[in-house]
Amino acid sequence: MAFIEIIFYVFSSILVLTSLGVILFKNPVYSAISLILSFITSAALWLLLQAEFLAIVLILVYVGAVMVLFLFVVMMLNISDVIRTSRFNKIAPFALFIGLIIVGELITLIWIRSDQFSMTSSPISVLDTSVGNTTLLGTALFTDYLYSFEIAGFILLLAIVVSISLTLRRREGLKRQIVSEQVNIDPTKRMKLVDLKSEKN
Amino acid sequence: MLALQSYLTLAAIVFAIGVMGIIINRKNIIILLMCTELLLLAVNFNFIAFSYFNQDITGQIFVFFILTVAAAEAAIGLAILVVLYRNKDSIDVQELQTLRE
Repeated sequence: MAFIEIIFYVFSSILVLTSLGVILFKNPVYSAISLILSFITSAALWLLLQAEFLAIVLILVYVGAVMVLFLFVVMMLNISDVIRTSRFNKIAPFALFIGLIIVGELITLIWIRSDQFSMTSSPISVLDTSVGNTTLLGTALFTDYLYSFEIAGFILLLAIVVSISLTLRRREGLKRQIVSEQVNIDPTKRMKLVDLKSEKN
Repeated sequence: MLALQSYLTLAAIVFAIGVMGIIINRKNIIILLMCTELLLLAVNFNFIAFSYFNQDITGQIFVFFILTVAAAEAAIGLAILVVLYRNKDSIDVQELQTLRE
């Protein structure tokens, strides 16, 4: 067995086990840490598929930002509210049944039509050895998919606006600056000219 | 040597685990969001495997956009969760029955 296959099977076992951990741990902190491990394992598997840029992005964006956000939110909540008391409920056997059917159907489809995957017969070495993966991705992204790229940026802006407007809390009794009132103020109401009589000597 | 089917099978297993997690989880919205992340990860796996075996960079472009949308989704979902917890003092899925009453 080649070294790369050993790596694939070890990493995919870790990925499946940590994914099961995400849905089976009672404490959501353990689930989040398990999900972090599954993201890192997936990044390693993506490196096997020569998607180097996306593997690094997966670690930086997902482990570094999204999962930290998850952990923040879990720790902001009251811990007794978020820990599950029982691991399974009444529909757990049904869920297992559905999951096994999904796996069975997909694997049957994948392996029964495998002769029609013409590209699988010989593993192809690289996309293009002369330029790196990042160069290739960036060239395609900024030429053919430029509009999609800008829409993606707009979606991120939208996410920022939505999250801030959802979680912004207006508390009573807070002294705030109201710009429109400041601009529209009549200067005569703010300043009063007083005639002071000068002392006569 | 590893074929495309190995990667597709792995993605199918991860996807089914995510679906099962959404079904059995009735206590905690955070776990539901994490299961959504697992589903998207499985989909990304398929895209990258096909991109490698088809020698086409378009699959990786699509994964890039999925990652963007998933990050936005996680941020908005967690913001909704925080507002929900502030209003109801609970993130139990089974207590969210306001529309039913």
